[in-house]
This record gives sequence, structure tokens and C-alpha cells, in this order.
Amino acid sequence: MAEVKTRQFKSASAKAIRDPQIQRALGAPFAHFTEGRADIIAADFGDESWEAMRDQAAAIKSHTIERLDYYLDLAEKMVRRNGGHVHFADDADHANRIVVEIAKRNNVKTVIKSKSMVSEEMGINDRLESEGMEPVETDLGEYIIQLAKETPFHIIAPAVHKSKEQVSALFEKWIKSTPTDDIEKLCGIARDVLREKFAEADMGISGANFVVAETGTVVLVTNEGNGRMTTSAPRVHVAIAGMEKLLPALEDVALFLRLLPRSATGQRITSYNTFVSGPRAGSDEDGPEEFHLIFVDNGRMRLLKDEVMREALQCIRCGACLNHCPVYRKVGGHAYGWVYSGPIGAVITPVMTDAKEAKDLPYASTLCGACRDVCPVKIDLPRLLLHLRHRSVEGGESERSSTWAERLLMRRWHNAMKTRQALEGSSRLGRLLQRPISRKGYIKKLPAPIVSGWTKSRDFPALADRPFRVRWREDLDQQAGG
Amino acid sequence: MPTPIEDPNKEAFLERVRTALGRANPILHTPDHPSLKATTLRQEEKVRTIQAKVIARRAQVVSRLSETATEASWSVHRASGPEQAAAIVADIAEHARAKNVIRSAEDIFKRVDIDASLRRKGVSPSVLAAGRSRRRSDLKRMAFGADLGITGVSYAIAETASCVVTPRKGVARMASLAPPVLVLLIDEEQVLETLDDFFAITRLQYQQNRGRSPNYYNFISGPSRTADIEQTLTIGVHGPGEVHMVLIAN
Repeated sequence: MAEVKTRQFKSASAKAIRDPQIQRALGAPFAHFTEGRADIIAADFGDESWEAMRDQAAAIKSHTIERLDYYLDLAEKMVRRNGGHVHFADDADHANRIVVEIAKRNNVKTVIKSKSMVSEEMGINDRLESEGMEPVETDLGEYIIQLAKETPFHIIAPAVHKSKEQVSALFEKWIKSTPTDDIEKLCGIARDVLREKFAEADMGISGANFVVAETGTVVLVTNEGNGRMTTSAPRVHVAIAGMEKLLPALEDVALFLRLLPRSATGQRITSYNTFVSGPRAGSDEDGPEEFHLIFVDNGRMRLLKDEVMREALQCIRCGACLNHCPVYRKVGGHAYGWVYSGPIGAVITPVMTDAKEAKDLPYASTLCGACRDVCPVKIDLPRLLLHLRHRSVEGGESERSSTWAERLLMRRWHNAMKTRQALEGSSRLGRLLQRPISRKGYIKKLPAPIVSGWTKSRDFPALADRPFRVRWREDLDQQAGG
Repeated sequence: MPTPIEDPNKEAFLERVRTALGRANPILHTPDHPSLKATTLRQEEKVRTIQAKVIARRAQVVSRLSETATEASWSVHRASGPEQAAAIVADIAEHARAKNVIRSAEDIFKRVDIDASLRRKGVSPSVLAAGRSRRRSDLKRMAFGADLGITGVSYAIAETASCVVTPRKGVARMASLAPPVLVLLIDEEQVLETLDDFFAITRLQYQQNRGRSPNYYNFISGPSRTADIEQTLTIGVHGPGEVHMVLIAN
């Protein structure tokens, strides 16, 4: 499985915040995502119909997850009827073993891959390399981070943190290309290298955006054409799907094809949608002779078991929650320490990996709710984050159980809020006490050892010089007088 | 083709799913989901309604396709009939300075004689299909060497400017994928209005030909594109960067 570095959330965040290139990348370029999404929804549907579509999608996904055993069974039967093989993998290692076994039996040397997040969980590239094969990522962003030996920075834009100069340097180092800061030329360089790989590859590995149970059809949503290459050029095609990727019926696909690209990139539809239900027919001119579909658990069963967390399995990996998250937009994708980042990463990583190691992730949110508002399948991410915080405190996984100083302060707060006199008295006292430590409305450091943890990674808002209730009264007086 | 065997881990896996869901037994009846439950009879009725709608609204549907396609960076060409369509294809090839032109082998080329119109421009297209003089293993190299590809479509969908291309005997996957310039020939009768129309029709085909439906098809909805470097849009990565729709009236 891909290395888990969730414990380093705080230090990795601090590092990302100091990195000017990462901060640049997280700024203006993301307007393409957020504005593009808002514009296309407004142009094509309007808020009301969009809301109805989200409701419908959430209902279909939740229906499917509640009957997952039925739909997995149906999909398996249909794929086999179409002549494909279906495998069920319990964890990353199991899934890797299945892929390696298929590759060895087919005497595979070069493997081309189109984008797949579950294959990132598996760390399949390292595994194939250790078996002497050459795995090549063919999505441009994935290709760049494969050369950089990094994990995806973003679910759908894995190399969004790299500048064109950094990409050029990577290409120069690994494929000996001439340096350039022309993005079109950089794409051309990658295209030429990857064309060779498409021509020679024996096996293609793809993900699956959806798996239609009633027909046994894997649906791929892509823009570059590498997904079509991966499913057309090699002799063997292996599709890897998280076990939650099912949709009951073919006609359900229309709704999800309307929701996914608009939420992800602000497109009406992506350039390509590929529908694969099995190997090629004998009379076909080209295409893989062998087709495999692997359903992967790898921690999803734990999400399923928890009646609250189960909702996270509705996710269609569009990345909209990342794009709209004020925390992701400062710390970026790598801080989250595994494969998934942003609000959905903070929700599923602690359950799919080790909750203790990932204890900081559920706190990487202001609970502003932007993620919930943009989620195309209406996952209530803030509620799930709160549920994880609750579980972490109850289960003693958190070091965040309160200190004596916090408890004392909370008792004071409780008393201060009881009567108006108590509140006014305490806030007068508070303003007096904060005078030496507050600057421009913020307290950068609360006195140790009392509650200094509160200001370790953020500033604490100071009490206003003139409380709201005073300003309110004065404004009223003024209005009455004027 | 023999049916592949069942994974020995399947039952245990599904059992774990059931346990996680807190259910003791498998679900034996088709769940109550409308799009899953429709019988062949009901689906036929639905498809008849769709066909009637598309025929009644043909002109609007075709002009909607032409609008969405233009927005999605297609070059849209309207032809009054097969002769004009063949001439348009030849002009596109000339404009693209194409030398190695490949096409599929399908019925539409019996009416739209692009071989003749291209020959008049000094180009003779090759058919990307296995035959007496060509082995299947050569098709990939041949497709990668081509600079223009021409195929027909199964349907076009106005809502999203999507052309549905279904590979089969005579229609190689690579013909519409490998060349940098792509031309798709569309009869106006093939144009559907919405994604729902397409999936309803395709589902009926599955219901009618259990196990004999095509295992592979693609929507092509514009040029190959990426924004993976600095969110800057670049056209023509692995697939065609220049895409043409020739809409043929009859």
C-alpha cells in the first residue's frame, strides 16, 4: 500500500504554507475550477434543478450502497457473461498480487496506466517495478508526478502544484528533453514519449469512474485520450474499481455524467467517455483480448460498517470539495499524508488507514460547510468530520482531551454567560488582561502553559475594544437623536 | 467464448459486505429502482416515444447539436447530401495537408464516396481493417502513422455534442483515436436530443440481445485536451486535437 504519512499533517502543512510555488498554484489557477463550475451550472441548469439532481444522485448512491452485495453480485455476473474476469481484493496487497499474477501469465513487460486513485492506494507502480516490469502513467499530470516520485496533489489535477519550469526540469532530467517554458511544447514532449509506450505496451490498467451493475459496464471519464489508448492498444486490460463505484442501471449514468464533469472541471462533459463491458469480440479489428475487473475493499468495509461514515462511500471523486475548502487551498494535497486530500481525504483517510496516525485530519477543517454545498452527491462532510472528532475523543485516540486550564476556563465562561452583569464584568476584565498580548485585534500567543495550544497554529481573535452591545446601543441613540 | 470462472473469494467478500450492512441474507429480488426494473416491453414503449420526439423535433435537435458542438471546439459542417459531404471531407483533408488518410469500413462510405473525392485531391485513403493484404497486428502502427482519420458514428447526442463511436468489424478503435485530425460523418437521423435518449435506447439493445451487445464504445465530445500543467488548456494530447463533424441531411 502507498506509504501513510498522516502523522506529519501539521509540519507538512506549515511547510506548504511557506512554499511560494505551492501558494501560487493554490491561488488564481483554482478559479478555473470554482468559477468554471459555477458558470456552467448557472448556464445549463440553475440552482433549483441542480439541487434536484444532487438529491437524486445522493438517493441513487445511497440506495446502491445499502444493497452493495446485490449490485456487486449482479455486476460480476454480467461482466463474466460478457467474457471478462472479475476479482475481489481484500486489501492493497491482495489487489497488487492479482495484477502481478495477470501480468506474469501474459508475459507483460510494459504497462500503461490511465488515472486511477485506487491504484494510488495500492502503490501498484512500485510493485510492478519490483517485479521487473515498466509501469508508465499516461495521464499528463500523473506522468509528471510519477517522474517526480510524488503522490497526487489533487484528486483530478495531480500535478497542479508544479510550475512549467519544474515540469521542464523533470522532463530534462528523465527524458533528456530540451528545456522550455512553453506549455504546449511540454505537452508535445510527453505526447511523443507516451506514443511509444502506447505502441509497445502489453497491458493497460485503468480505474473506473462508475461500474453499471445491470450491464457489467465500466465507465471512464477522461479528457486526454489516454484512457482510450489504455483500453484499446494493449493485449490485456485491467480495470480497478473501489467496491463502492457501482450504479444500478445504464440509465443512471446520464445523471452522473451531468454531475461529475461540471463539479470537477466546470465542463459540460469531458472529451471522452469510454464504456467497457468485456474483452473485444473475435471479429473486432483491435482491442484487448483479455479483460479483468478488480473490486477493491482496502478499508472501505470499515466505512460501510459505520452507519454514519457509510455516507462517504457515495463519493464520485470529483474534487469539488478540495477546490472550495479554505484549508486545502492553504495547505494543499500532500499535507494530508496519503492518497486523498481535502475534506473527503480528511473523512476517509482516518477510517481507511490508521485513525491514531491520522488523528489531526478531522480537525483540518473550519466546518464552514462549503464542501457540503458543492458536493454533487450531497455528502454531509462537516457532519462526518464532527463524527470522527467525537469518535477520536471518546476512543481516547486524541491527545485533545481537555487540560485542567481549559476546564477551568470553560467553567468561568459558563458562569460569565449566565447573567448580563457577569458577562459585562468578565469582558471588562478580559479586555484589561489581553492588553499586553493583543495586536491589531488578534492574540498571536496565549500565555503558556495555560491554553498556549490554542495559538500554536492560528491566531486567537481578541475581544473588541468596543463590544457589539455598546455599539448597538450607541447607534440606536444616534439614530434616535438624528 | 467460454464464461470465465467465478473468483473463489467472491462469496466471502459479499458475506463481509452483508455483515457490514447488518443484513443476514442476500437480496433475492430485483431492488425497487425504477431504471433497473423496466421490462423489455416498457422499455420498447419508452424508446418509441423517444424516436417520435426526435423525429418531430429533428430540425431543432440538429441545430442544438450544431450549437453545443461549436461551443465544445468541434468544427461543424452541414452537408445537403452525400455528394456535398464527400466534397467537405476532401476540403478538410486538403486544408490539413493530410497525406496518410485512414478510414473505417462501414455502410456510410457506400453513400458518401470519400475515396473518389479524396483521390481528386491526390490522396488515396487506406481502410484501417484487417483483410487479405493486412494483418491485425499491423493496424496499430498504421494508425499511429496516419494524419487524418474518418469514421461514421452510431449516434450523436445534441445535449453534450457527443458522438458515439462503436468499434466492430471494419471499425477499428484506433481509427478515431490515433490520427491528430478526426472527421466524423453523421446522418441527421442519427442525432438524439439528450443523454437519457441514448441510454434508454442502448439499454433496450442490451435487453433484446442479452450477451451480444458491443463490449466497447466511446463518446467523443470534443478535441483531446489537458490542463494538467498550470491549469492552462492545451489541445491535442493523446487523441485528435482537431475534430470535425459533418452533418448530412437527406
